Amino acid sequence: MPITTLADSNPIKLCVVIVGLPARGKSFISQKIVRYLSWLSIPTKSFNCSTNLIQQLKESNTTANQLFNKENTPNHEILNKTRQLTLDQILKWFTEIDNCGVAIYDGINATKFERDHINKTLSDNNINTVFLESYCDDQSIIDVNITDIESTSPEYFNSVSLQDTINSVSNKIQFYDNVYETLTASEESNLSFIKLINFSSQIILNHIDSYLKSRIVYYIMNLHVKNRYIWLSRHGESQYNLEGKIGGDAALSERGIKYSHKLVEIVDKYIPNHDRLEVWTSTLKRTQQTAKYLPFPKKQWKALDELDAGSCDGLTYDEIAEKFPEDFKARDDNKFEYRYPGGESYRDVITRLEPIIMALENQENVLVITHQAVLRCIYAYFMNVHQEESPWMSIPLHTLIRLEIKAYGTEVTRIKADIPAVSTYKEKGTSKLGESNNSLNIMSGSVISGITDKIVN
Amino acid sequence: MTPSNDIAEIEEAKISGNYSARKIQRWNPSSIYATSLDNTTNNDAIHMNLPENHISPAQMYSTDSGKMFHAGSICIIMVGLPGRGKTNLSISLCRYLRWLGVRTELFHLGDYRRKNTDLNNASDLNFNKLNSNSYFSLNPENSKIKILKQEIKNELINDILTFFQSSNGQIAIYDAINGISNERNNLYNIFKSKNIKCLFIESIIDDLNLLNDNIKDAVNSPDYKSWDPKDALINFQNRIKSNESYYENLNSKSENLPFIQSFNFGEKILINDLKHDFLATKIIYYLLNAKIKSHSIYFARCSLNKLNFKDDPPITDSGKIYIKKIFDTLSTDFSNNKIPNDLVVWTSTRLRTIQSSQIFKDAGCTVIHRPELTQLNPGAAEGLTDEELNKKFHDSYLSHESDPYHHRYPRAESYHDLALKIEPLILEMEKLPYDILIIADETIIRIFYGYLMASNAKDIPMIEFPQNEIIKITYHTYNNAIKKLVVEGIDKD
Repeated sequence: MPITTLADSNPIKLCVVIVGLPARGKSFISQKIVRYLSWLSIPTKSFNCSTNLIQQLKESNTTANQLFNKENTPNHEILNKTRQLTLDQILKWFTEIDNCGVAIYDGINATKFERDHINKTLSDNNINTVFLESYCDDQSIIDVNITDIESTSPEYFNSVSLQDTINSVSNKIQFYDNVYETLTASEESNLSFIKLINFSSQIILNHIDSYLKSRIVYYIMNLHVKNRYIWLSRHGESQYNLEGKIGGDAALSERGIKYSHKLVEIVDKYIPNHDRLEVWTSTLKRTQQTAKYLPFPKKQWKALDELDAGSCDGLTYDEIAEKFPEDFKARDDNKFEYRYPGGESYRDVITRLEPIIMALENQENVLVITHQAVLRCIYAYFMNVHQEESPWMSIPLHTLIRLEIKAYGTEVTRIKADIPAVSTYKEKGTSKLGESNNSLNIMSGSVISGITDKIVN
Repeated sequence: MTPSNDIAEIEEAKISGNYSARKIQRWNPSSIYATSLDNTTNNDAIHMNLPENHISPAQMYSTDSGKMFHAGSICIIMVGLPGRGKTNLSISLCRYLRWLGVRTELFHLGDYRRKNTDLNNASDLNFNKLNSNSYFSLNPENSKIKILKQEIKNELINDILTFFQSSNGQIAIYDAINGISNERNNLYNIFKSKNIKCLFIESIIDDLNLLNDNIKDAVNSPDYKSWDPKDALINFQNRIKSNESYYENLNSKSENLPFIQSFNFGEKILINDLKHDFLATKIIYYLLNAKIKSHSIYFARCSLNKLNFKDDPPITDSGKIYIKKIFDTLSTDFSNNKIPNDLVVWTSTRLRTIQSSQIFKDAGCTVIHRPELTQLNPGAAEGLTDEELNKKFHDSYLSHESDPYHHRYPRAESYHDLALKIEPLILEMEKLPYDILIIADETIIRIFYGYLMASNAKDIPMIEFPQNEIIKITYHTYNNAIKKLVVEGIDKD
């Protein structure tokens, strides 16, 4: 289904052009927008200038330090070529995706001249543009970002040492600092732009003239730039899990209760700064019982309740296959869109999870204890899992999941409580439970045993 | 983060089963039968006080404390000279927030003043003069006026506090000039001491044409009910002048309050020191789309909507006649009996509605088709009479009877689903600076109507839109107004 805005009946063709000196969290923001819009089923892709620059440097046998030196300007041939290459890639992408989607131009775009050129090229191709500047004069934020670039940016993968990278980034910052022109409503009044000052301690918005742009602004306002962790867990094994039933509001099983005790130890051992931890659960009994022994402030959210299985609530998959054979098959065919009779689909869950995602984006130290389907949706958002795969992810019981949010992506670690539990995982085409060795559906990242503290895989 | 003292969303899971959790726990059953805001559905309910168990069209859930999203209580304080669209903006924001299910109430200082004084008779308040002794000066010299002004403000602030403390209120919108920095800081501190967050919203207009248009509209204010429009305009301009010399803009350097400054109704927006919670960002998101509107939204039913949901046949001959009559009747509502070419027409993506909108395309209108405007999917209930439904889906039928707004038959959509689905369209509707004609099924018209007239969710499935009427809803500063255009020669249904 093509997405259109009502202001003009053409399908959406929007390019978000990032503006900002090095180490201003530009790539972080680009990645986040990709994640959010993809999660809302809008085709979105980020085009990183650095990747093209590396190639251009190689071809012309120049080093970054040679390029970013005082005698050169942003109008240097290598930089012009890089810009053109990135624009060409964006234009080509729009034709590939049926002219409907959002491209992110992730570059420095330091001068009015460059921005003017980009704006003109895009509008000549009927692409709507919004500039997004991250302006930062708080040195402490910049320093943290530089360190982060060292460990994650593709541009510095082959760097010899941290110092090497810092020097190189500082060199680049100096080069651009001399020519950098920040966006102002008086100087570039006709441009549509979003300007974040020190990570949204102040925001200036100019000509945000379409619904989609307002949606992007709304999302960015909730962003937090600091590296941080988000902690997720399913509730402990429940009576219904033992019986193979779905939904319901059952209490924990004996092993589930064991997990709720063990969780206190695991939190103590693995969650840094847990004195400031906040625990979020659903309004269902099994998540509240799982959180029972955790001595932290708690919030219960209706939005974290398990996907509503409607008339199939309280049945086993065998019973569903028998009673509602058509539904059983329809769900396997398109699990993301399938809605239980009187219940919800994964898409419905995503709609109601939006406030949770926004809240998770602007908080630190949160442990979310919720249910399989809801965790799949949250996990899919942070890990950029495609909607065709996300409903099939295997999310084990009795495991604390750590998501480490970084500029270039999210890293996952699973901490197993080593308390046995039944599997509630159902593969396509069967009503039987349990994982096979289909590794595609297993989460990425490493697994740590909560007992031995050793990495298991 | 401090432990939340907002126990809003802490509820015991009382009934087993998710299905019941959603159907019964989410709404207190009595709320579904709560008194409507408004029994005569032709009035805009935006100025009515909210009944205790009010359920809004796009509300996702309800809580015992009445608060949503763990966002606490917020007082929105409008800031701006007269004629800057503050009242308009606050009403439009209130409409949106209420529709989302956030318990929001409006507090217009003008209403409190009118209650306590009389603009036509109170000559000692110098309403009509332009000097520092006038009631409308931000800083009157006359001590009697000064005291009266303060008393009126105190009454309003007490009402706001009562709303938070005794009526489960979540957002209060305080609509006044609030043009003095010290006073704003005082307000901030008063509310802070009660654990209520403040958000200041200032409206600035530096585009003179825009300002003049907006001032012209001010003579329609209840202040000038029995006035000659010319005199009213002069008086109002004097009111602005007497405030200008004292007025202080919000400024991040001299007062670091959480604020949003909007220039020329959202052309440029400055956001300062916001604590980025979900509700605050949702408000900004709305302000980015809200424009001062004085346009009309027309609704016409599409013909032949008794078809099965999945059928998509081309338009019939009688359908062509029907749409011609709609076109002709609508024309009579415009000058020279001619459909203006800046009218925007929205329809669903069904073949017959695309074809029927051709006549508007030929008249030069912009026509847009959106899949979200497709009628409510009746699922397994399609084509069944009440009796058959009762027999075939007995339990489901009973649930539907008790809550037709939220209930879904197997495979069907509910009105609530439709409301969530069309939220983007509502924001685009607020943004478009033109008249809009929406040609859609009755189920879709109900949802738009429910938004524009601030209806209670429970009333929405009952509102009837006969085939032979075009409904016109016009945005006014104070409320939205309805007019019905009868289409001659068409049956009611």
